[in-house]
Amino acid sequence: MSPLYLIFGPIVLSAFTALLGEKRGGTVRTVALVLFTAMLFYSLDLLSILPETGYMDLGTYLPVEQFNFALTLQVDHLSVIMLILTSLLLILVTLSSWTMKNATAYFSLLILFAGPITGVFMSTNLLWFFIFWELTLVPMYFLVGIWGAEGRIYAAVKFFLYTHVASMLILLAFFLIHKETGSFDMTVVKESMLASPVLIWWLLFTGFAVKMPIFPFHTWLPDAHVQAPAPISVLLAGVLLKMGAYAMIRMVVLMLPEQSENFAWVILTLGLITLFYAGFMALYETHLKKMVAYSSISHMGLVTVSIATLSYSGLSAALFEMIGHALIISPLFLIAGFLHHKTGSWQMEDMGGLMQKAPYLSALFVLAGLAALGLPGTMGFIGELTILISSIKAYGFWLIIVALASMIGAGYIIWTFRRVIYGEMSETVKNSNFKMNRVEFFALIIFSVLIIFFGLFPSSLFEVINAAFVSLAAQGGL
Amino acid sequence: MFSSFTLLFMAALLSLALHRTMWLKPFAVGATLIALLLTYSGSSIGLSGFENSEAVRLFTMILEIVLVALILHEEEDMTITQTLFIGTASIALLQSHTLLTFIIAFEAVSIISFVLVSHIKTSAQAEGAVKMFIAGSIATGILLLGAALYLIGGGKLGAPIVLESTTLSTMGLFVMLLGLFYKLTIVPMHGWAADTYALVRHSHAAILTGVAKTVVAVSMFHLFAPFLAEHLTMTVPMMAVLAVVTMTMGNFLALFQKRIARILAYSSIAHAGYMLLAFAAVKSGYASTGLLYMAIAYIFMQSAVFLLLDILRKKYNIQTLDDIKGLAKQHKGLALFFTVQLFSLAGIPLLAGFLGKAVVFYAVVDAGLWYITLIALLNSALSVGYYAWIVKHLYFDALEGKKLQVGSSKVQMISQTILLAGTIFFGIFASWVFVAGNSF
Amino acid sequence: MMTLSFLLLLLPMIGALLAFTLGLKKKSYAFWTAEVTGVALFLITLILLINYKAPIDIPMTWFEVGSFSIPFGIYIDKLSLVMLLIATGLGLLDIHFAHDYMGEDPHQPRYYAKVLFFIGGMILLVSAKDMVGLFVGWEFMGLASYLLISFWHQQKDPADAGVSAFLFTRFGDIFLFAAIGLLFYFTGTLDLVKLNDLSLSGELDKNMMFIIAVFIFIAAIGKSGQFPLFPWLMRAMEGPTTVSALIHGATMVNSGIYIVARLFDFYVAAEALLVVATVGALSAFIGATSALVQKELKKVLAYSTMSHLSIAFVGLGVGSLAAGMTHLVNHAVFKALLFLGAGAVIMSAHHVKDMWRLGGLGKKLMWVALFMGMGVLSLSGIPPFSGFYSKDAVIASAILNPESFGLISTLVTIAGLLSMAYIGRLWFLTFAGEPRDKALFEKVTAPSAFWILLPLGIMAVATLIMGFFQGSIAEMVSGKAFEEPHVTGLFFGLMAGITLLLLIVYYYYVKRPDITAKIAAQPLMKTIHGILFNGYYIEKMIFWFTHNVVIESFAKTINWIDRHIVDAAVNGMIGLSQKVTRIFAHTHSGRVGDNSGAMALGLLLLLAAMVAGGAV
Repeated sequence: MSPLYLIFGPIVLSAFTALLGEKRGGTVRTVALVLFTAMLFYSLDLLSILPETGYMDLGTYLPVEQFNFALTLQVDHLSVIMLILTSLLLILVTLSSWTMKNATAYFSLLILFAGPITGVFMSTNLLWFFIFWELTLVPMYFLVGIWGAEGRIYAAVKFFLYTHVASMLILLAFFLIHKETGSFDMTVVKESMLASPVLIWWLLFTGFAVKMPIFPFHTWLPDAHVQAPAPISVLLAGVLLKMGAYAMIRMVVLMLPEQSENFAWVILTLGLITLFYAGFMALYETHLKKMVAYSSISHMGLVTVSIATLSYSGLSAALFEMIGHALIISPLFLIAGFLHHKTGSWQMEDMGGLMQKAPYLSALFVLAGLAALGLPGTMGFIGELTILISSIKAYGFWLIIVALASMIGAGYIIWTFRRVIYGEMSETVKNSNFKMNRVEFFALIIFSVLIIFFGLFPSSLFEVINAAFVSLAAQGGL
Repeated sequence: MFSSFTLLFMAALLSLALHRTMWLKPFAVGATLIALLLTYSGSSIGLSGFENSEAVRLFTMILEIVLVALILHEEEDMTITQTLFIGTASIALLQSHTLLTFIIAFEAVSIISFVLVSHIKTSAQAEGAVKMFIAGSIATGILLLGAALYLIGGGKLGAPIVLESTTLSTMGLFVMLLGLFYKLTIVPMHGWAADTYALVRHSHAAILTGVAKTVVAVSMFHLFAPFLAEHLTMTVPMMAVLAVVTMTMGNFLALFQKRIARILAYSSIAHAGYMLLAFAAVKSGYASTGLLYMAIAYIFMQSAVFLLLDILRKKYNIQTLDDIKGLAKQHKGLALFFTVQLFSLAGIPLLAGFLGKAVVFYAVVDAGLWYITLIALLNSALSVGYYAWIVKHLYFDALEGKKLQVGSSKVQMISQTILLAGTIFFGIFASWVFVAGNSF
Repeated sequence: MMTLSFLLLLLPMIGALLAFTLGLKKKSYAFWTAEVTGVALFLITLILLINYKAPIDIPMTWFEVGSFSIPFGIYIDKLSLVMLLIATGLGLLDIHFAHDYMGEDPHQPRYYAKVLFFIGGMILLVSAKDMVGLFVGWEFMGLASYLLISFWHQQKDPADAGVSAFLFTRFGDIFLFAAIGLLFYFTGTLDLVKLNDLSLSGELDKNMMFIIAVFIFIAAIGKSGQFPLFPWLMRAMEGPTTVSALIHGATMVNSGIYIVARLFDFYVAAEALLVVATVGALSAFIGATSALVQKELKKVLAYSTMSHLSIAFVGLGVGSLAAGMTHLVNHAVFKALLFLGAGAVIMSAHHVKDMWRLGGLGKKLMWVALFMGMGVLSLSGIPPFSGFYSKDAVIASAILNPESFGLISTLVTIAGLLSMAYIGRLWFLTFAGEPRDKALFEKVTAPSAFWILLPLGIMAVATLIMGFFQGSIAEMVSGKAFEEPHVTGLFFGLMAGITLLLLIVYYYYVKRPDITAKIAAQPLMKTIHGILFNGYYIEKMIFWFTHNVVIESFAKTINWIDRHIVDAAVNGMIGLSQKVTRIFAHTHSGRVGDNSGAMALGLLLLLAAMVAGGAV
């Protein structure tokens, strides 16, 4: 099957599904589920036929020679890992949205999203990459703006505009690259060909930093995440943020290694600031979902620190943490959203004693929270351990402050447990009913199983991750 | 020599006879389609002073497609005739190669535009028409002044524009450009546009801003580009500055408007600024393709949105943002068409608007002016603000109060579909334009 | 051997899962699963011990990240086996005891699952070959501790206690985590045995070793409830007493000492042992003095635990691995005995923990009083009970070591002596004299022989018999033959002190409690009492700091910055845009005349520009 279908197929398909009436919501939902499952199998299949290192060519389409503008599709381990993660998350998002209203429109938008996101990870032509990058914003805008909570309009517009401005910087950088090298192909472009690498580096870094997000460009995230319906928060945190990290790795670190070395201290500093800053924000927060949002930002700060090591192990650790973060933060968002849905309140002080009323749900929340603070046995620990080791190796012993951030995490997570899960039952909790739809609950279980499985047996994941960056081992030996 | 030009001209004349019959529309559509075929097979006017090229051919075909859409939409007989006439004049303008033919064709387009908007039913329409007319007259005056200076300075009427190195001819050219900027709605010749586009009938505005503007832009570029390229140090700063001022002013003024027509009017001005960038970037080989692409994208998008406004306004008097709240729930199709075209205007990819802007902006980078591109990109991002805001009203807001029974005729939907197809097609398949652009 | 080792590690986890799932069907299944698992684990340990020839060494790799290889191996030597015996043996007795103690609780499946999980963590800790495995076991225990302390989480105090426990220990754990990073960076290895060897070879940087050693010790402070991270241990008493006995008396809290013992060579080479001794001595003093005035049974025992762990630390800190570890072993047994005994009392007295409401229970709970009495004697350090020998050895070593002679040796001696005082007070208040709450006394029921008294008896006998095998124990834990340190006159001095204190306590608490009450009422006494009762207000200070400095000042400030500066900048764009728009709007009056004027102006400007620009 030509991968072209995988990219444009969903876009066309969504147009058709959108035309089905409201009554066919279930059908669209099933179509979405089938599509995403097919995507997952396709990605896994790709993984099995990948060469050990380097890219695998999947074809070039729609060529425009005059502009070096062709849809070149090539994948390597890094892209395929992202594809697998994305399709998995899309499946889980579909399951978690099982009872969503206006299902036809909702799932059509999800299907619409699947096309460009695949394109982002598959295309090595910078201009097509940009096209798909931008396109992912459109369904997200609608998903947040229509199904979101009270402040959804502000959040959706802010999200759209903010990230769009960042995208403009990226486009400019791509233009400059083409002007200076004559090519839009990221596998061909070498830093040595560039006449203004510093400018390009800064444009790309800033543009992707907004997406990840890194301080001080992070303020769009809390609003977007909080106002979005819970499964969409999962999509935002699990996929969109990873797009930013992927791009940062692919285009900043791997494509511009020399400049990245010069400015690695910038990445490191901002990453550390993000890690601690967001941690403290989460500590002070009493709004449950906002707390999760800040925790999310904090973890991406950790990823950033690891990326800043520019090393084989550092990038591998970053990728692991990216996957871990997606799997860990999702159940937290889902449950936080669910709690708001059932109690009508966002504030943690209104809740309390949830364990007594909804023990299994609480147990899953506790599990995810413990993973977020890095408890061994969960993916969170592996991520933190590997990042700690890699960053100390790269920057020296003072990076042990990364361990300190773990303490802040413990602080807000355990405190959240105390306020929401444990303690005496609050009136609100007493009067609410926490029955969750079976399918949605099943999605939570899958998340939990994965968090533990890869926390206990990380080697299965690392085998694939290491392959993505092994080419870096030749340089530096880190 | 039977060309699309002659065909359309005759069709326009004949259409007068078919007024108030049901044959008018099918006849007009049919004639335009035949013209399309003729253009495709490479016909050209054949008179001296006119010259065809790949780019012109492509654009003419697109023009004809858009004319079909316009005609399908239009319910008023006279407007259909005017549309045919403007089509004729446009083909002539596109193929004009010398100063004389250019001025004549340009004036033809202008005058037909005036006639078009002179169908006045309300005082608002009158205001719009008058403003346009007065501005147009002044502009024509300036244009002719410039032409005169150019001729005195050594230019030839019957030849393409070449700069003789005399001060007078230089002055003349610049003054001509200024006069032409009126039609292109470039600062400072733009004042009339915001009002006119917003006040006259929206289907007329579609023609004014969609057809006329793009045709003028393409033909201007064709004629003046060599001159601009020869004298970069003079022309580039002027073009760049004017472009930046125009786009910035247009975008900011669009931001806080309440009436949709006004938003789109200012957006139109901003887009003129983007198009002018191609003029500033003539050093780059991509400038011509860029302009062509932008024109193609623009003609589809702009016609579509104003025709949509026409549908909304004519029957249901929808004028402000508040009026369209929750429209998506009632009329999925209209909302969808509107949204896609708005996103195209905003520069969302996979739509023609994006590629148009991308190529132009790239050309500016290629010409060594990356900081100008940065400003343009930021402007484009700014514009997303108001486009997304319109979309927000369509989809995110709840239906308020009265339930509008919004409906539209099937034919109008077909017209929108044609325009949408154009926007999407050229958003994905770029090679046609690039091939054509190389042979401007 | 290898299979047994794997079984040892996996069985608790499997048992935990089974206990929970089976227990959901019928509550007693949870207990029996736990009991069976406990027996199995103990037997495996015994088998390993009997068949011991050399350490079981199984190196394994957990995973590879980039070019780093993260190890996770198994290493069981005599030291591990001693710890394993304690863990599985006391674990089994504790489970057995819980049959009655937790018999009425509706959440038994959860309880037994967590207890088994905890035991699994402990097993992992002492069987780990590398720092990574050690850390995982460390954290597992911490998790189990958190979950079990807040077992009755429906109420405020246990829930708060759990938070306290997790955060205090987590703070220490961060340093252990950091130490792992540092070790990997500076030594390239995380293997515990290799680290010891490496440290002796002199290749490592002394300063770095010192820092790492201190970091690890900070974690030990947290886990073992030493100054200043001890408040959580006191709060942990909110959990079921069986939990307090197993986790906070006998096993988890030993982890800190274990880790220092395990890396003893490293500590010697790093010259960090003095730090250990100093902190230990200070904590011993604080713990002992605070234990004197507590009114709850379990709180006395908690402070006592703190104090005796400190004594063990001091033993290690003054250079005597044997003395410190032997004391740990002895303490585990008699502390578990005391805690479970207290549990028996609490159970029989219908969950009353306040000693001032008890009294005279010896009449009704004769066996409990007897067994607990034996524990009291052991803890006080009266031969031939095991507690005497190790405590004596520690004190002697402290005096003999010139570095620790002085403040450290004094503090630890005082702490050692005071043990008699506070534990005697506990025994007398609970069992002797007249019942203070007559109504309660009437309701006291005798405990079951099989479920309650049997474990107590076993432990009581053990603490006595162990007194005769101190040499073997010492040899097992230190790997060398034990030479008893000898300080002339120490034995008599200690015995005299202990006897004196015993008499004093007996007098003031049994014979003449009225005088005690009068003394206690005096203002100076009240102040001192306040300080000691509240653990020197350490907890209050830490809470104050966390709340007011960390959260209300620091976090609040960052929150403010984010809202009013960072985000405001973004939102400010809207206002800025409006201003710019207004400026532009001035040029758009809409009047035709203005438009035309603008056009004309444009023309003039153009001409002017061209003139100026030299085009003309």
